Amino acid sequence: MAPSQTIYAPSMDKLVKSLKGQTLETSIEAFIHLLKRRQVKGDECADATAHILRQVVAKSKWNDVDQLLSKVQAVGTRLARAAPHEPVIGNIVRRVMGLIRDEASEDRNADDLGSEAASDIQSLATAIAPHTQAAPPQRPGPIPFRPPPLTSVASFHVAKPKSMFNLLSVAETAESSITAASTPLSQAAPTSVHALRSEVLDGIEEIMDEISQADDQIAGFADVQICPGDYVLAYLPSRTVERFLVKAAAKRKFTVFLVSLEDPYTTTGEASHAALRKKLSSSGVKTISIASNGLMAYMTRISKVIFGAKIVYQNGGLLVDSGASVAAQAAKAHSKPVIALGGVYKFCPEDPSDEIAGEAGDSSTYVSYADGLKVDALEVENTVADYVPPELVDLYLTNLGPQTRHHLAAIMADHYKAEDVGYSFLSNE
Amino acid sequence: MSSKQGAKGGAAAAKAKKPTKAGAEEKREDVLQAVVIADSFQDRFKPFTLEKPRCLLPLAGVPIIEYTLEFLAHNGVQEVFIYCGAHSEEIETYIHESTRWSPRSVVSPFSSLEFIRVSDANSVGDFLRDLDKRSLIGGDFVLVYGDLVANIQLDEALAKHRARREANRDACMTMVLRSIGVEPHRASQSRVITPVFAVEPDGRCWQYEEIHPLQKEHKTLWDQNVVELPDFELRSDLIDCGIDICTPEVLALWSESFDYELPRRNFLHGVLKDHELNGKMIYTEILDRGYAARVSSLPMYNCISKDILERWTFPFVPDNNLAHGQTFKRIREGSCFEDNVPIPRGATVTKSVIGRNSKVEEGVKISRSIIGRRCKIGKNVKIEDSYIWDDATIGDDTSIVQSVLANNVVIGKGCQIPAGSLISFSVSIGDSTQLPPDPVPRISLLTYEKTLATTNPTLVGQSGKGALFLEEQDDEDDSDSEADRNPASLEKTMFYNLAHLNLSTDSISTLASHDSYDSDADNSFGSLPDSSRNVRERLSSFASDDSGLSPDAFHSDAVHGLLDALRADDSEDFDSAKLEFMGLRLANNASDSSMRRAIAVAFARRAAELLSPEHGGLEPTKSAEKTFTSKRGAIKFIREVGVGRDETNLQAEFALALQKALLGVRGLEVGRAGALLAAMLQQLYNLDVLEEDGILAWWGDSRAGENEGLTKVKEKCRVLVEWLENADEEESEEDEDEDSD
Repeated sequence: MAPSQTIYAPSMDKLVKSLKGQTLETSIEAFIHLLKRRQVKGDECADATAHILRQVVAKSKWNDVDQLLSKVQAVGTRLARAAPHEPVIGNIVRRVMGLIRDEASEDRNADDLGSEAASDIQSLATAIAPHTQAAPPQRPGPIPFRPPPLTSVASFHVAKPKSMFNLLSVAETAESSITAASTPLSQAAPTSVHALRSEVLDGIEEIMDEISQADDQIAGFADVQICPGDYVLAYLPSRTVERFLVKAAAKRKFTVFLVSLEDPYTTTGEASHAALRKKLSSSGVKTISIASNGLMAYMTRISKVIFGAKIVYQNGGLLVDSGASVAAQAAKAHSKPVIALGGVYKFCPEDPSDEIAGEAGDSSTYVSYADGLKVDALEVENTVADYVPPELVDLYLTNLGPQTRHHLAAIMADHYKAEDVGYSFLSNE
Repeated sequence: MSSKQGAKGGAAAAKAKKPTKAGAEEKREDVLQAVVIADSFQDRFKPFTLEKPRCLLPLAGVPIIEYTLEFLAHNGVQEVFIYCGAHSEEIETYIHESTRWSPRSVVSPFSSLEFIRVSDANSVGDFLRDLDKRSLIGGDFVLVYGDLVANIQLDEALAKHRARREANRDACMTMVLRSIGVEPHRASQSRVITPVFAVEPDGRCWQYEEIHPLQKEHKTLWDQNVVELPDFELRSDLIDCGIDICTPEVLALWSESFDYELPRRNFLHGVLKDHELNGKMIYTEILDRGYAARVSSLPMYNCISKDILERWTFPFVPDNNLAHGQTFKRIREGSCFEDNVPIPRGATVTKSVIGRNSKVEEGVKISRSIIGRRCKIGKNVKIEDSYIWDDATIGDDTSIVQSVLANNVVIGKGCQIPAGSLISFSVSIGDSTQLPPDPVPRISLLTYEKTLATTNPTLVGQSGKGALFLEEQDDEDDSDSEADRNPASLEKTMFYNLAHLNLSTDSISTLASHDSYDSDADNSFGSLPDSSRNVRERLSSFASDDSGLSPDAFHSDAVHGLLDALRADDSEDFDSAKLEFMGLRLANNASDSSMRRAIAVAFARRAAELLSPEHGGLEPTKSAEKTFTSKRGAIKFIREVGVGRDETNLQAEFALALQKALLGVRGLEVGRAGALLAAMLQQLYNLDVLEEDGILAWWGDSRAGENEGLTKVKEKCRVLVEWLENADEEESEEDEDEDSD
């Protein structure tokens, strides 16, 4: 490789590559500063957090579960406070903590319950599909066990997730594997710290797999959600939305209204959308670019509005790129369905706070610093994220399939432990 | 591959370097090195810098050097070398105690951070010459100052620099500049010296000049080379943020020129001036995105503080808490508060930053200000556009406008602090004191010599401590004399005002004037096609001005130097004269045409001198021969410097210069001058300095016959010219004959 392509700017990829050789503290601080300098943002944060927590579990010294939990929590708090604008970090930390609790409770109960319990679980696993109230294995209480070998890691097909919802909506052969929660499923009862460590590490790998595959899985539902002849409004399409549209374009003929930022200074945003346009048109889908301020006029023709959610709050509200809430309001006014795309890892068991939605970004996104008169005269307020209230969202399309607002609580309960939900990473006790 | 090339380049620049360096460079190719100059050798921030170095002064609550180091981390720099001058121990202590930057710290983003102390450094140049000696630098490195605030990504500039360096190893430096547009801009209003770059479209910088409002002559001279470029821009709309991407050759260049002190006014200007000799090329990378500026003066401190408050420097803003231990949170109305800042009912705080544990009383109005930690602000205090550092106490009913209050300042009740005040560390001001607005109060406990000043009770009140800070008085007396006034005097206050200076700002640009004998300088400047020339910002008047150069010190010095060398009997060598001439040329910023003229005059005088009886009374032919051939290197000198490149029009120019020079020799009658000119031209023709095309072009040039004297001189050369033409014809006839054979 010619050295003229050498990139010096630090990035998450570089950090992940160097994780092995670094001490834990170095990695954590490096990540915190990447977050603060905005060199890691958006969807990357989730994956990066998982990487860092994996290092915490692997490298730090702990003798029992409580120590591990407090270590993970402490690091998680530091990360979350470094980037209050990225609540997804908190989600991952909670997921990992829940995972540790699971593994630990398995340990404790392993001796008490024999194979009897295991077969209980097996029957439970097969019984999950028909029951609407899926029994979350994490539910604190009498069922501490995970299903037996048939759902072992090796046979775990993340690429084809099955849940009760896509069982109903997707006509594919159903297997009785539990994939709703991607925490590791193992029958082996770890008897030592060492075993627990490797179990937890496996679990974190699973979470990382889930994060990396979420976009593809969501895109898998594209042909169900998009009908031939649809007019779809994509507001500042995120990576998830782009994949979704491209996947849909392979099977359906529809029209995309693309709202992109009218920003002469952003070159990167333009380029990525240009790639999307190219892909769409190569599969015969027409794209129409519209300005965000002309949205309302087009709304009558539009049949669906699609957003990529940054965060789905427990009340069903969304954190989205700024400006998208206007699109949601417009859709509501015309009674058009709004579909929010986002992996389950983006589900945040908290209520939205003003602080996050009001996060201010770079003034030079909208006004060039070279414009002296404007720099002196204007106060540029660039809010990076918008909050979309739950009543404006009709459907949440996750990697587990389409969900409605009423089932969000169940998903949250599936993925997070009650103990962790109550803990706020941002408050200064 | 490129590492080899780079090594070659480095070796060419400094052949004496150890051979192991190439290996080291290869190894380090992917490690980005940076050199931070943490001392500016200026005293623009006095009285504050009496006690603290500039790079540790707080900017929005954070020492300035934090921004610089974070910028380097932002760009993936691995190895950092910091040069400290004044207060070096304080800077070292600060860095070593910092959890983030200390070289021992595991969390430091740099693989190494070294301090380099130079005991006798008096300028930035001394630092860089020292760096050259140390052989620490393996490849390209980034040179920045310890007062840089920037959020730009250098990757692109680095890649371009590397590509250029690989294509041509003389492309040794890339300056990163931020364009700020042609509209009035607070950043351009905050600086006193305006840098002007002559830039080609591909970014190559040809000339660098500085303009400031106190110049005696409101113009800059643009070199002939620049003016003759097919397409160039004069840019004065750039912020020079002092980020230079350099190859190690830059350090070698610094070492070659022991008297360069300033990286721009001396080094850049000199290297560009000299590009024909050293062959080096310097490029600019002009950014129109991102933020980059230097806290180079108090007006810039004010400007950058405002930019931080308004988030132009994002992500380097208070609520991002980049510095260790910060816990700022952004609240409504654009303000950022740290922990435990209770704002009582009835107090209004807008667009301000307040640090931890500061106490604000009722009725306080704070706007567009930055207040440090643990400050106590009394009832009904009004603070506007001011910067108050840590631990300050401000009594009730005081009003502070556009001022800087350093750490531990105590202001009594009911005081008035007028705009532009600078109140240094631990000064206290008694109750009900009204500081006079003129002269702008700069109050310090220390004097210029860092001794304790005697408190001036009339100024700071009965219970106050501190005295007006006065500058060193030594060079004040000649401030009204003919010399340019020093622009530095303007930079010592936060808001400088030019109104009382009575300056004319009508025209600040002039192209290099033509020679004084060239009374109607060719009009090519005036007739430049507008489409190809873009003149930015205030450089609106762009016409040639001949009267500007009348007392031409360069000309007489150069002619005398050359004549002395030609007359000298003891030495056969012309090289030292050449060296002296080039030095003079650099010192005086002389253009090519004035060099040509000086050379022509010197040789013409020498030749004329030899005709006179006291020097032997030689015949014109003998005289011409002796003039040109008696000294080794003289012919080479004329060919390279007098004529320049191997072009017909330049040869014609030189012939013309010679003609005019001979006419101007005192005591030489016109007829003799003509004969001598013919002899000299023939001699130059024989010596291959002038080709027949050049002489014929001169013959055809209308300027060569524009007055009586010139025509007479010219007529004498008719024989030569006809002979040349015939020779030409014969030659071509011969050619034809040969062809027909």
